[in-house]
Amino acid sequence: MTMLPQRGTEARKMGLVIDLDTCVGCHACAVNCKEWNTGGEAGILPDYDPYGEKPDGVWFNRIHSYETGTDGCARTVNFPRSCLHCENPLCVTVCPTGASFKRAEDGIVLVDTDLCIGCKLCSWACPYGAREFDEQSGVMRKCTLCIDRIYDDSLPEAEREPACVATCPAKARHFGDLADPDSHVSKLVAQRGGTDLLPELGYRPTNKYLPPRRAQIQTAPRETCGAAGQGIGGALLRLLDKALSR
Amino acid sequence: MRPAASVLLLTTLTGFAYGLLTWLGLYVAAGAPPAARLLVLAGVGVSVILATLGLIASTLHLGRKERAWRAFSQWRSSWLSREGLAAVLTYPIALAFAWAQYRAPGSPAARSLGVVAALASLGTVYCTAMIYASLKPIRQWHNRHTAPDYLIYALFSGATLFALLHTLAFGTAALAASLAALGAFGALIAKLAYWRHVDAQSPIATLASAIGLPEGTPARPLDAPHFTENFILREMGFQIARRHAAKLRRIALVVGFALPLLFSLLAQLGTFPLASSSLAVACAALGLLTERWLFFAQATHVSALYYGRTV
Repeated sequence: MTMLPQRGTEARKMGLVIDLDTCVGCHACAVNCKEWNTGGEAGILPDYDPYGEKPDGVWFNRIHSYETGTDGCARTVNFPRSCLHCENPLCVTVCPTGASFKRAEDGIVLVDTDLCIGCKLCSWACPYGAREFDEQSGVMRKCTLCIDRIYDDSLPEAEREPACVATCPAKARHFGDLADPDSHVSKLVAQRGGTDLLPELGYRPTNKYLPPRRAQIQTAPRETCGAAGQGIGGALLRLLDKALSR
Repeated sequence: MRPAASVLLLTTLTGFAYGLLTWLGLYVAAGAPPAARLLVLAGVGVSVILATLGLIASTLHLGRKERAWRAFSQWRSSWLSREGLAAVLTYPIALAFAWAQYRAPGSPAARSLGVVAALASLGTVYCTAMIYASLKPIRQWHNRHTAPDYLIYALFSGATLFALLHTLAFGTAALAASLAALGAFGALIAKLAYWRHVDAQSPIATLASAIGLPEGTPARPLDAPHFTENFILREMGFQIARRHAAKLRRIALVVGFALPLLFSLLAQLGTFPLASSSLAVACAALGLLTERWLFFAQATHVSALYYGRTV
């Protein structure tokens, strides 16, 4: 059923909040995602030519690094990219078979791979590039928000969170109900000014990104080589430099 | 966007098929001579065969072909589902129309079925066009040109085929060739207007907005997530050199529209009508395939922003 479910304002919106300020770009979330979703029952993420010249394969999560800002005060922003479980997911409504759907109870967007015909139209409809085609089984794959972890009663309660969140060494990934204003994730979004990606396209993503903060610690500018050439120390250094560069 | 052969064949072949069926329906509705009984029968046959070939081609790119039947279920939300359903519904309409016109040429039943067949054909082409026009992340498709353009190309290519069949049946292309010439001219104008529109569009979004930073923040890629290509880059990140694209645009304009216009006019004037109308069909087919290839190859997808592309 690819019609979007009727979801009231109180309906749960399970999703991620990703802190671009603390993400160190280590790819651990992507690796643990791959590990969990290859081994679990929810999905098999194939690899093509894994040890060859052109390794390729399906990943639910990919980590980009960007340089932002202007010359002089540029900074690195590491950016994990995965499904945002949008409230207005065009990937769901374009699906001709009913394989793609948005769950009414928690807003998670899933693919029923038993119904998917592999037409790839959903991947064209997603502006975030979150869906990847599985060449081996001929169906579309996407992030499940680790639905097989978050509702698994046999796991200790603390472990009922997506694999990417559980593994993040920088605690840059947070999981919770974004419809509940008192949840940990909603508070983070409110405090830190969490933003939507590509809001102008109108997909209303559930996942939010916390923007990088300005540096709080002011450090004195480091002495440059030119400034070190004064006095007796400078003369000695120049002498040493001359001797060494012969 | 990667131009997949299956989709190029689907949209081009069904354009010819449903364009031809539209003209045949209107021809009968407008009072075709009783002598055109066989022409209509053969024409519907050709249309059905071409549409079937196109639909078979479209299933070739599916990952799970054996499940293709499932695509008829989600017509309430999906244009792809609507296209499949419209294409399948057009079959019995086309056959009923051909049968009515064969049994009782010019009867009210044949005439009204002609109108229904024309509407079903145009409806199917419209659904195909809307698959592309509804995709927000692709600015070259999500605009007001896409849907009318697909209808114009279908009417144009169908008219060249109609003129050829008319020539085969009666030795002259007559009015059909005028329709083809008019169609070629309309298609030429539509294509030029489309290129003018997409070339003047500004990028849909910026990298800053794609990674959640305030608009205007300078951002550039430092490290990609992977060293080699992936599905997103292969499918959505297809790139074509500007010079190469300009050459193909000229080929599409000349072969796809200018030559069919010329040959249709020659056919209309009675100059080697059979050769002229055949050449018009052949050129239209080659040119429209080129045009369709460009429609994909020159379309950019927002997700390529993450890899540092302009979209």
